[in-house]
Amino acid sequence: MTTGIQRSSSSTRRSPRKKKKNQIPFAIGLLIVIILIGIWLATKENHQALYWMLGLAFGFILQRSRFCFTASMRDPYLTRSTSVTKAVLIAFAITTIGFAAIKYGYFIQELAIPGQSYIAPISIATAVGAFMFGIGMVIAGGCASGTLMRIGEGFWMQVLALFFFVVGSLWGAHDYGWWMRNFMLAGKRVFLPDYLGWFGGVLCNLLIIAVIYVIAHKYGNKKSESELQ
Amino acid sequence: MKAFFDKIKQNEFYKMWFKDALPYITGAILLSVFQIVTFATTKNPWGVSGVFANWGAWLYQLIGGSVDNWYYFSSPGAQATLEAGIINHGPTWRNIGIIFGALFATLAASGFKIKKLKSYKQVIAASLGGLLMGYGARIAFGCNIGALFSGISSMSLSGWVFAAFMFVGAIVGSKLLVKYFM
Amino acid sequence: MSKEVVLDCFGEACPVPLVKAEKALEKLEINDILIVQIDHSCAMKNVPEWARKQGHNVEIEEIDDGEWEVIIEKVK
Repeated sequence: MTTGIQRSSSSTRRSPRKKKKNQIPFAIGLLIVIILIGIWLATKENHQALYWMLGLAFGFILQRSRFCFTASMRDPYLTRSTSVTKAVLIAFAITTIGFAAIKYGYFIQELAIPGQSYIAPISIATAVGAFMFGIGMVIAGGCASGTLMRIGEGFWMQVLALFFFVVGSLWGAHDYGWWMRNFMLAGKRVFLPDYLGWFGGVLCNLLIIAVIYVIAHKYGNKKSESELQ
Repeated sequence: MKAFFDKIKQNEFYKMWFKDALPYITGAILLSVFQIVTFATTKNPWGVSGVFANWGAWLYQLIGGSVDNWYYFSSPGAQATLEAGIINHGPTWRNIGIIFGALFATLAASGFKIKKLKSYKQVIAASLGGLLMGYGARIAFGCNIGALFSGISSMSLSGWVFAAFMFVGAIVGSKLLVKYFM
Repeated sequence: MSKEVVLDCFGEACPVPLVKAEKALEKLEINDILIVQIDHSCAMKNVPEWARKQGHNVEIEEIDDGEWEVIIEKVK
């Protein structure tokens, strides 16, 4: 990069170049630990080594791409940036197709469709919970996966956030019965293919994603254009 | 030795795979691939915050509490999970894996640094934010991963409802953050 | 003579560095330089992205393991 910003001499003196340490040896050491844990987990039941590998992959990807579900919801309002939002929408679209394929595979074999517990009932509890979650993730600086990822990056703030996330989860689990009796039981579980057919369900989901993508794209470009003029 | 590792830093493939941040789009595609792998192998989409309720229950049991009469843990499946213990809980290992995966990525990029709590405001923001997320995720059937990413990708309308209300929450959260926690 | 302002955002998680940088840059004159010190990898991506989108000149310097300086020259 040679945009050539001329810094005054005061700033060059202010930050003397420390000799950088090289952390790659630590990475290799950690990799050995990771593999050993994996070998140990592989001796256990319930495919725990598989879960371990999946978690490692998710953590590595989240960190390497600085992916942040919190930013996808926060930045459009706070900074009018929608690049993360658009990336999240792309992930939704690809995963929709993959999930639909797997679910449909079970369906045509007349087997029970897996993962249907993730089709949650819609009620006031969904709205209240999502609203609370939205506030919490912005002020804590990360959602569930983001908090875990940032602990890996060395943030003590996120260790604290995780502790209270666990406490809050326990509290929520304690009150869960009340929410269930009063709201969730009356809530409807809407699996789009049940209403629109498999093709229609996938298409509807992708269309919603596409419409939001267009809005996000136009909205994200607006400010910088108007300011350039 | 150090000269060798410093030489690795100059390698173009090292920079590509371990150093330079990947574009968001690449992250989106890779996460999707592993979401699909997760669903194909474990028969359930990826979830993160449900595990935290179990961690809470185990912690609570550790200090002498009991969750046996709680509706949330009343199903035979939930009871069996709690009895098997944290060591035998796959999703727990997945969550710990996220921490280790991110730690490895940071070290490999030679960018790890311990970031201590900087101010009182951070303590309050993290505690309050954590509590809100924990409670909210339980009554909304998940977090950004389980309810949002997995919900929408499972073609559940609940995922879209979650997204809409979380967006409103994020706006309120942003206002609070700028006003009180900065 | 252009001014040079250093903004210490060490230990701050998203979106704090970006919001602080936005506020600090508003107060500066054209050709002034804002140096944002960051140790959060996500902010390392969104602060430069935001500044470039605004049309400013941006340079990034890795000053230590996990510490960066984003140097923003205000051009308008």
